[in-house]
Amino acid sequence: MSHERGNVHFSFSDAFKLAISYLERRRDRSLLNIASISLGLSFFTTLLLTDTFYQTFMVMGGGNLTVDQTYYWLVIIALAVSVVGITNAMLISVYERIREIGTMKCIGALDKHIILLFLVEAVLQGALGGFFGILFGTLAALLTTGSTTGFDIILKVNPMKLLTLYASSVILAIFLSTIATMYPAYRASKLDPVEALRYEL
Amino acid sequence: MNFDSVIELKSLARHYEVGGEYVKALDGVDLKIGRGEYLSLVGPSGSGKTTLFNMIGGLDRPTTGSVWIDGVDISKLDAYELAWLRCRRIGYIFQNFNLITVLTAQENVALPTVFAGLSRDDGIAKAAKLLRSVGLGERLNHKPTQLSAGQQQRVAIARALANDPAIILADEPTGNLDLKTGTEIIDLLHGLNKTRGLTLVAATHDTKMITASDRVVWMRDGRIEKIERG
Repeated sequence: MSHERGNVHFSFSDAFKLAISYLERRRDRSLLNIASISLGLSFFTTLLLTDTFYQTFMVMGGGNLTVDQTYYWLVIIALAVSVVGITNAMLISVYERIREIGTMKCIGALDKHIILLFLVEAVLQGALGGFFGILFGTLAALLTTGSTTGFDIILKVNPMKLLTLYASSVILAIFLSTIATMYPAYRASKLDPVEALRYEL
Repeated sequence: MNFDSVIELKSLARHYEVGGEYVKALDGVDLKIGRGEYLSLVGPSGSGKTTLFNMIGGLDRPTTGSVWIDGVDISKLDAYELAWLRCRRIGYIFQNFNLITVLTAQENVALPTVFAGLSRDDGIAKAAKLLRSVGLGERLNHKPTQLSAGQQQRVAIARALANDPAIILADEPTGNLDLKTGTEIIDLLHGLNKTRGLTLVAATHDTKMITASDRVVWMRDGRIEKIERG
């Protein structure tokens, strides 16, 4: 954008700060979103981790155990359900803040700033959901396999493998949360400021 | 002619189609608003007052005719340029204040400066100065819900001034306030109009606001019915 046309700035840190305020303000809904992601993700982590535990157990000569393949279908459905749930919750959030979005546009916000605001929120929710997901997922995996493989199996797994598994789980959580928020964020950004300001809750 | 007009409306028309019916919200409006003028827009609901107000603010586009702000036809501007105009040249004040509820008074006032590219520290410092100037120096860190209606409107006024605009657009600014608070807000706006030379355009029903203004534009059926000296 050239200077004659004027610049409207809104940095990532501004969006970050606002997004944190919004998450705090709507703590209940944010927590539900985070819970939704972490439930789907913990199932995902449990499955991958159980598989890893079994493999480690087998290498150690403990016997041949495998994860039932149908669980992988279930985990895909669980993740899809949490994505739809987040999309729904974020759409409600758009309408809750419709006047604020209209106001921001009136004082100079561009469509992309509104999108940025929602996406930062999505990433934060995804990261938190992912964190709790791997926490619960690890607990669940240990509880289900511990009696056969021993609870110390987690210490015998290749640490690099464990780290990769955790990292990909958190990345998946952030990715899914972002995907789920894209449509609500787009809707919010396209709101007509006049209509938005007239909107009564 | 030494009438320096900051806003100029030329045969402005805005038509809508609502449920198959053609509505002429604005039907040929010509108006020049001078720099530093205090103008009241008056008219019953459905008179085109709000549509006219939104046109001047670059929130709505004309069907025919044009809106000139500082010699620029704003109906020709793209989304970026309009956002820039709304950010730097125009300050908005609304009937229901429209503060961002998750932000403090100071952060609310600083928000337009963020969009204008001022550094966070400069914006926050400027917000504090503006809030002091509207008599809220002790309320910087209060959230909107912790403020009275009159105080919220003062925050909104400070926010409208954040980027030193030339024009203040006020949509029923006293509509949600009691008589005493309303009068204080009118005095504040009138003072800003006089001391800062701000052009103030207010859509209003409030007789106190109308009396204080330089000119009163009466709207009816999408046209200017009459213009009176205040």
